[in-house]
Amino acid sequence: MSEGGVEERPGAGASCLEPSERLDPRARTVWRINNALWAAPIVGAGCLVAFFVRLGGAPLYLWTLPVVAVLAVAVVSIFVTPALRWRRWRYEIRPDEVDLQRGIFFVTRTLVPLARIQHVDTQNGPLQRHYGLATVVFYTAAGANQIPELSAPVAADVRERIAALTKDQDEL
Amino acid sequence: MNSEPHPHDRQPENDQNHPTDGAPADASPVDSTPETLQPAPKDEPRNLHPSSMLFEALKQARSLVSAAVIPGLALLFGSGLSGWVISLIIFAAVALVLFSALWGFLSWRATTYSVGGGAFYLRRGILQKNERTIPLDHVQSVDTVQGFIQRGLFAAGVLDVVEVRIETAGGGSGETDATLTALTRDDATALRREIERTRAERTGAAGGAEEEEPQPTVIRKLTTRELLVAGATSGQIGATAAILAFASQFFDNAIERFFSERFVDELVQTIAPNAFFVVVLVVFAFGLVAWLLSIAGTVLSYAGFTLSRSADGKYLNIRRGLVKRYEATVPVSRVQAIRISEGIFRQPFGLAMLRVESAGYGAEDSGVSTTLFPLIPIGEATRLLRNILPEFAVSPPLKRPPRRALRRYILRSVFPSLVLVSLAAVALTLTGVIEAFTTYYLVGAAVLVSTSALYGFAAFRAAGWAVERGCFVSRARSLARTTSIAPRRRLQSRSVVRNPFQSRLDLATIRARVASGGGGVTFEVIDIETKDAETLIPALGPNPPNAT
Repeated sequence: MSEGGVEERPGAGASCLEPSERLDPRARTVWRINNALWAAPIVGAGCLVAFFVRLGGAPLYLWTLPVVAVLAVAVVSIFVTPALRWRRWRYEIRPDEVDLQRGIFFVTRTLVPLARIQHVDTQNGPLQRHYGLATVVFYTAAGANQIPELSAPVAADVRERIAALTKDQDEL
Repeated sequence: MNSEPHPHDRQPENDQNHPTDGAPADASPVDSTPETLQPAPKDEPRNLHPSSMLFEALKQARSLVSAAVIPGLALLFGSGLSGWVISLIIFAAVALVLFSALWGFLSWRATTYSVGGGAFYLRRGILQKNERTIPLDHVQSVDTVQGFIQRGLFAAGVLDVVEVRIETAGGGSGETDATLTALTRDDATALRREIERTRAERTGAAGGAEEEEPQPTVIRKLTTRELLVAGATSGQIGATAAILAFASQFFDNAIERFFSERFVDELVQTIAPNAFFVVVLVVFAFGLVAWLLSIAGTVLSYAGFTLSRSADGKYLNIRRGLVKRYEATVPVSRVQAIRISEGIFRQPFGLAMLRVESAGYGAEDSGVSTTLFPLIPIGEATRLLRNILPEFAVSPPLKRPPRRALRRYILRSVFPSLVLVSLAAVALTLTGVIEAFTTYYLVGAAVLVSTSALYGFAAFRAAGWAVERGCFVSRARSLARTTSIAPRRRLQSRSVVRNPFQSRLDLATIRARVASGGGGVTFEVIDIETKDAETLIPALGPNPPNAT
């Protein structure tokens, strides 16, 4: 993995180009499975509602409505958003700041000064472990930020780099 | 009788100190001699001051009464005042007093505390024994509080006792880990010194407790007039009105019981022959009572507000409260941000409230987000800050979002009321009462939508930001117009957010997060020029391109 290139104009990175690093490509698969697991009970509930509406003798368009709605949500969240989300997600660890970009609709660019980071974790759930991925979570005094779904060695590397760069922790 | 699993015997101290409640306040009736402040030998359990019996008894009585109040009232209103109900109540009261007194005595006897071996030990509990050990390294603060009764006793010159609260780090916010209901002030001071000294020895930190602490200087006190003005403009009428509405349901029952219907009817007839006038009158009376209640609430929590600074200038101390004293100590070096909040009823008079956001360090202690001063003319805010927190004393002219952002501000605030209006229209049509209510509906909808549009305009007018002397100043309105000041080095993270609609107009939202208490707060300015956001974000970073 390439070291985040040091900007020739320090601090000016936020205004021009995007952060350089992407997440692991397998992130899309993990998100799809996750969203599918989330969507299944919702689709089930939609079908149940439709069944009862039909029992109540409602016309065809009325009882198909909930089914179509939940299926549409499920399809979009499984087949569309993971790819968009992955394309948007970028990160970069500069000597002075961690730079994150994320969000499909609300594109959010966050900069966290390394001097404010108190400690760094890597976490992974069973699904992530199966695909050899991990999430890096770093904590500031005002809460946590994370870089999700990096391949395990990259995550460990990122964790070590942030930890090394935060040695000169300043007082709060 | 002597429930002591402690290895060595406890000396029965009780026969040395007869509970002399009539003793003057300066003579400490407990065994520690006040002139040397030598605490009792270590790891010897000590009892609390006997007056803690009284406080424990009162606590117990209060919890019993609050448990019995609903069924008691139901009994009263249900059956009126018959002879046996009265006797039942008297019997219950006597039983309550006796039981509480016994409880107070037993809990006083069961409670002992001691300091030794690098830990604070507290043993308490009558039926359920409880022994708590707090390592002194974990003790975060030793606070002394004087409750209402204790202050009354002190004022009457009967005795001077305080409640001591020992809190540990990481015990959750505001969770007291050991409470000693009553110690004489000398004992409390001795205990605190002891804990501090032991901690200092253990951590090897230099400078234990000096014998005579230099007095803090009072920076500003809230006068009675200011207190009343603060209450009158607090804008909590809405909240109090809701509570009042809830309470009035019980009041209704009482009215039905005590006034016959005919009497009420005649009363209403004589007051106002037409219904509209009655409604106006009731609303007015309701508002007035709510307003008076909100004044009372402010007086209760902010009376005697004193902002002072410690002699070494490292701490700010805030004390307030009429019945329950609230005390907070804020290290100046931990202040993260200041907020100047102009409530809607205060802004017209040029008044504001100052808040302070402070942080702890790591996971060890959590800072506070508290009122720095409840009411101050906006012109004096900067002067006060210059005196106590010079770093935050900036009031630069603010840059504003561009004109084309106004439409988005208004849309954002009107959208919820449009949804509400259309839902109401659907509901009225479906229930088929739309004809009867058309005029009311149209008037209501017009008022709602125009009010929210006006609010959007006000939010647009309030929004602004600036960078001055290394501080990020941002201003926004959520009912109250709030100006937030945070030094650049305190910003934990900064974000730029854009959605497609904003991109089309070349606008962006900026957010900065600052640590506060156990978590953080976000300062946000919505819909500013993209190029402004893009210069602002690096300018607030650790290595700004050109130091402003």
